[in-house]
This record gives sequence, structure tokens and C-alpha cells, in this order.
Amino acid sequence: MSDVVVTKRSKKQAMGKYGRIGKVLDELDDRLGVAKGGRSFLDKIFPDHWSFMLGEIALYSFVVLLATGVFLSLYYIPSSAIVTYHGSYLPLDGQSMTEAYASTVNLSFAVRAGLLMRQMHHWAADIFIGAMVVHMARVFFTGAFRKPRELNWTIGVTLLTLAIVNGFLGYSLPDDLVSGTGIRIAYSIILSVPLVGTYLAFFVFGGNFPGTAVLPRFFILHVLVVPGIMLALVAAHMALLVRQKHTQFPGEGRTEDNVVGTPMFPVFMAKTTGFMLIVTGVTALLGAFAQINPIWQFGPYDASRISYAVQPDWYMAFLDGALRIFPAWSFHSFGHTIPLEVTIPAVIFPGLVFGLAYAWPALERFVTKDVAMHNLLDRPSSRPKRTAAGVAVLAAISMLFIASSTDVIANFFHVSLNTVLWSMRVLVLISPFVAYPIAYKITSELHATRGSGKRKTANVVTRTEEGEYVATAAPAYADDVAHDLAPTPVPQFIETSQPDEEPESGVRAIDR
Amino acid sequence: MTTTLRSRLVAGGLALFVVLVPLAWFTPAHASTRPVYQTARRNAGTPNSSVVVKKHGVVTSYGDGAITYNAPSPALAALGQALYLQNCASCHGTEANGVPAAGTTGAYPNLVGLGPATIDFWIESGRMPAANPRSVQAPRHVPRLTHDQALAVAAWINSLSPSYPYIPTVNVKAANVANGAALFALNCAACHTIEGDGDALARSTFAPSLRNIPATQVAEAIRTGPGNMPRFTGNLSDFQVADIVKYVTTEIQHPRNPGGFGLGGLGPVAEGFVGLLLGVGLLALVGFWVGERQ
Repeated sequence: MSDVVVTKRSKKQAMGKYGRIGKVLDELDDRLGVAKGGRSFLDKIFPDHWSFMLGEIALYSFVVLLATGVFLSLYYIPSSAIVTYHGSYLPLDGQSMTEAYASTVNLSFAVRAGLLMRQMHHWAADIFIGAMVVHMARVFFTGAFRKPRELNWTIGVTLLTLAIVNGFLGYSLPDDLVSGTGIRIAYSIILSVPLVGTYLAFFVFGGNFPGTAVLPRFFILHVLVVPGIMLALVAAHMALLVRQKHTQFPGEGRTEDNVVGTPMFPVFMAKTTGFMLIVTGVTALLGAFAQINPIWQFGPYDASRISYAVQPDWYMAFLDGALRIFPAWSFHSFGHTIPLEVTIPAVIFPGLVFGLAYAWPALERFVTKDVAMHNLLDRPSSRPKRTAAGVAVLAAISMLFIASSTDVIANFFHVSLNTVLWSMRVLVLISPFVAYPIAYKITSELHATRGSGKRKTANVVTRTEEGEYVATAAPAYADDVAHDLAPTPVPQFIETSQPDEEPESGVRAIDR
Repeated sequence: MTTTLRSRLVAGGLALFVVLVPLAWFTPAHASTRPVYQTARRNAGTPNSSVVVKKHGVVTSYGDGAITYNAPSPALAALGQALYLQNCASCHGTEANGVPAAGTTGAYPNLVGLGPATIDFWIESGRMPAANPRSVQAPRHVPRLTHDQALAVAAWINSLSPSYPYIPTVNVKAANVANGAALFALNCAACHTIEGDGDALARSTFAPSLRNIPATQVAEAIRTGPGNMPRFTGNLSDFQVADIVKYVTTEIQHPRNPGGFGLGGLGPVAEGFVGLLLGVGLLALVGFWVGERQ
């Protein structure tokens, strides 16, 4: 028997203030020095607004994409070798097809949860790019791309471009009839690049269409190269956001020099974790109950077969629409053909759209001559010209988006396909010029109304004992009563020593 | 230069004429009178089939096990003429030989010699009698005449000038659905879409949906080529047509949709709507719920 009585309480006291977890963290901090960074990370302030959650939809659907994508890559075979199918889907029995298509059908029907994973992956991709576009619109219309955040805007536009490219690559991998047609169109678009088109197309496809190299190449681009770059860019996007701190809407106690919001731990972490689970849940529900891209109905790709009424996924639709409605112009001279009906809508036009997106922060700075730092957001109504310009571009792109379903519209409403085609040509051209003045008028009048950008306050009507009714303005929310928010002191668990003197040049010693 | 080219062409044309005219003597006499839709290939919708049944020297039925083509009973012809005069004669004429409409070509066409399958298809799919005879394409409709009445009209028109193909009965049970799927992708999907929903073609014409078409009418359409549809005769055997009919009446009309709701077979258009409105929209609403709304 020892002379010290070991009780539960004495054990607990020996552990220190934060128990076993604290001890583990202490040990970790001794080796890696994580406490300082971890503390500031946990104390990072997130200003709260519902529109700041839109980017998180994109982030979490990217996580879903990575997880489901890893599962799919276990069963998908990126090979153009021809095999004969003898699986469980009878209408394909005995048909010859590429190994890529056979393996996709097999992972849909013969692998447990394979179809669910494939559908979740596809839905997550649709949601991912949709959320990116909505997030981009939020950043644009609130002016969050202004100094100092131009670099993050550039990263964001690059991420959107890469996401669209990777969406197309992934859509092509099953090598079904519909996606094979898509690859054929992509090949033609590359061919249409003036002068170098043929070389470029042969370089990408390793020869003429379809060849056997394209599926393995698309696979490695889709699962490794592009997502690798995207992961790095997402990390940079987040790191810049932490470094530059969040923007915030103007309001009580909010200035250009402070950040008002809830700390990362515990408030924001709880909220964002819940949100991640909801994003995963919605994707899983869609994957379980809404059928997407039923490749087994399409059959394997074969250059001699074609299906009518084929559209790309929604994020490629504006390009498809541009291709559909562009008149059949081409240039033949000097021994060269430039198919302008492909080059202009599918090469030059997207180049201009994304070029405009990249250049916008610089363009706006050039026009407004505004070089100040901006941490407070604009309300869309306070910048009528920017808002109207954004609405005009969105209007034209939406019209192109609709133009990619000309055949569906004609069939559904029983109108002539030619009428729909000409209507879309006119609508695409005039829509920005109609949308701009309307958006400008609405936003500038909204801005001019009294109390715009402020919370509406409720009138509380009370009845006095004499029966008289009195209306008094009430604060919208309880926390609006506080006027000056004092900065919350950040608890100091770590002593940091500040050097008293300027360090000398040359070899010097610093404290650990 | 131009004159040399022209004179060369003239000389070449003369030479061809001299060579081809004697050849024409040797071509079989019936070749020039044979209707264009009939093919010499065996078992492709013509009496050139493995099994041919004749009665009083007239072919009443032919086929090969995959499809049996039956002539409508000549006994129905009298009834058929009465029905014809009531329902069809105002456009196609009392002799069924067509009435050229003012300024149009091909309107109110001649029906004599089209074969019972053509007549049966147009009446039983409800396209005839047409609600609007001047429309670009007659849409599918609830038929005005019954099955027996349609057969009667076909019997009368066939009695004017017997012709083929007869009305097909498809032996769907013995057909190969996988072969049908491949043939469908090759021959049909270019207009009817790979999911069989049909779609708009140029100038208000359209490929109709195949979701609700009986087996007989699918076979009739393939063999007779109604409207803009090509007539598939020589390139598809009766076995292949039966395979396609089986694929259409099973997998196209009753898709398995193992992935959940089929979203109307509209493909990425419907998927985009669901993904953006239900996916992004719902999640944005959740964000609106958990975030501050100022």
C-alpha cells in the first residue's frame, strides 16, 4: 500500500484543468506548437448573413464529390477495349461496347450502392457548379471582389472554369451514346480553333476521333489533375479568406476596420457542420429518389449511332445554346477553312465571357477610380450600374441557356422549331439591352427610398386603459438595441514575448 | 474551257444513252411497275417470305414466324366502302384516288395501292380522319373508327388494287430485346430520341413519342413510313422489326428507372431544373434559415 490515497478526484486534479484531452493537446503542442494557431483559428470571427452560406454549399458538395468519386474510381475501368456485355441488364446483353461503358453499367447494377453513389456524384456536380454560380453572383452584386480581395475573385473564377471542364470530363467517362456525342462535339470545337485546330485536336485525342487514348486521358484529368488543382485552389481560397478576414454588411457597430460576428468555435462550427450534413443529406436524397443520366437506356457509344434531343448538363448549356442558334457562317480561303459557326460561339464567346469575369475587378477600378480598401459590402441597390451590368450579362447567358433546349420547347409547346430558333436569336441579342435599363431603374429607385438598406422596424400597437391605441416603433431584433459593440477580449492562454529592440542584421538568435 | 467541258458532257451523255438503252430491253417487265416500297429481300414485309398462304390464287397471309402479315377479309369490303364514303371521301375522293388541293402538292393523296397496313395505321392511330387536313403533320388522336371498321376500310381500298404490306401481327414473345435495343439506337433514335419520347423536327413537323404505341402500329410505321418517317423495308428483316417492336413495347414504354423517378425522360433539361431548383434552391433556403436575414 502506498501512502498516497489515489482517489478519482486526485486523479482528475493531476490531469489538469482540461482533463485527458487537454493533456493530449499539451503533449501535441510541446512538439508541434499548434496552440497559438489553433487558438486564433478557433477565435476566427464569422460575420453572419444567410448569403454567406451559398459558398459553403459549393464547398460541401465538393466534399461529397470527392468522397463519392473515390468510390466510383474503384469500379470504373478507363479503357476503350471492346468487350461483349453479359450482365444483369438484359436489353444490353450480347452488345459489344467499350470496357468503360460496361464497367459503368456494372457499377450501376452489380455493385452494392453503386447506382446511389453514381447518382449522388452526378447530382453533387450539378449542385456544386450551381452553388458556385450563385456564390459568384453574391460576391459580384455585393462588391466583395473589390480591394483587397481581387486575387480571391480570380481564384474563384478559375475554380468555376475548372469545375465546368471537370464536369464535362466526368460526364464523358461512361462512353454512352449521349456522352460520346458530347465528346464528338468537343473534338469539333477543338478542330475549329483557327490554324492550330487540327494539331490541337490530334494532340488532345492522341489522333483522330474517337481513338482509344481519349478515355484514359479524360479519366486521369478528371480524377487526378483537375481535382488536384481545384483542391489546391480551394485551400488558397479559404486561406485568403482567413488571412483577409470576412467582409460584412454595414450595420450597427460594423466598420471597415472591425469584424462583427460569431467565433469559429463553438457557434460557427456547429452551424457549418450541420450545414455540411444537410448538403450531404439533400444530395443523398436526390441520389436515392431522382434518376439522373440513365446511361443503360442510352446504350454504348458508336460513331454510326446518334440520338436526337441531346443536351449537355446544365452548366454546359449556355455553350450548347450558342452553338445551336449561331448562323452557319464559315470562312474558306488561302487553303484554310475556319468554321466561324463553331469558332465564334464555342471558342471566342466563352473566352470573352470568362475574360470579362476575370477582368471585372480591374475594369470597375478603372471606371470608378476607387482604390480604397473595402471590407464593408455594398447592397446591390446602392450600386445600380454594377447591378444592372451583372443582370444584363446574366440575362444574355440565361437566354443562351434556354436556347440549348430549343427542340424541347418546340415539342412541348407545339411551335415550329424554326420559330423557336429565330426567337432565341433575337432574345439573346436584345435581352441585355432590355434587362440593363429595367434593373438600373429598379435598383436606383430602391436605393432612393427612405430607409433603404436598413431593417424594417415593426410598430408595436398598445391599448391604454382608457381604450386609446398607441403605436410605437420597436427594434427589429433584440440585439439591435446595443449600439457600440466593444471588441470581445480574446483569452490569452499563451504568453507571447515581444522583442524589445530591433534585431541586428546577420546571424541572430531568437526565442522558441 | 467551258465549251470543252460542255461538249465532253454531251458526248458522255450520248455514250451512256447508247449503252443503257439496249440494257433496258433485258430488265424484267414487272420491275418498272413494282411499287417503290417493296423490296426483293426475303422476309421484309412482302410476300417474298418463308410462309405464304394463298386462297383462290390470292395471297391472304405471309410471314416467317417473327411477323405474320394478314390481308383484311374481302367480305368486309362493302362495309368498308360505306365507311370510306362517310369518313374519308370528302378529301381523298369517292374513288380513293386523291384530290389535288389548290397550291399544295401531296395533299389529299391517292390511297389506291398503298397496302392495307398503311390504311390501318393512319385510321387506328386516330390520325385519319384528320381534324385539320391542312396541318403540316396529323397528330396522334383517339381513333374515330374501331379496329373492325379500320380493317373494313383497308379491305375496300385493297380490293381496288391489291397491294402489300398486309396488316402485321408481331410475335413479340420470340423476339430478342437486346438486338432490338441496338437496332433502335441505329435506326430510330436519330428522330424519336434514344428514350423514345420523340421531339420537334424542322418546320412544325415532329417525331411522335413512342411511349403509348401498340405493337402492330410500331411494325406498320416501320414497314410503311408514315409522313416524314423513312420506309424501312430492305434494310430490316421481319426478325429485326420484331426485335425493335419488342424493345419499344417493353423497355421504351415501361422503363425500369432503377434510379428513382424518371423525370419524364427529358434528360439534362429536367435534371438541370431539379438540380438547380430542388438542390441548390433547397440548400439556399436552409442557408437562409440558419443564417442572419437582414
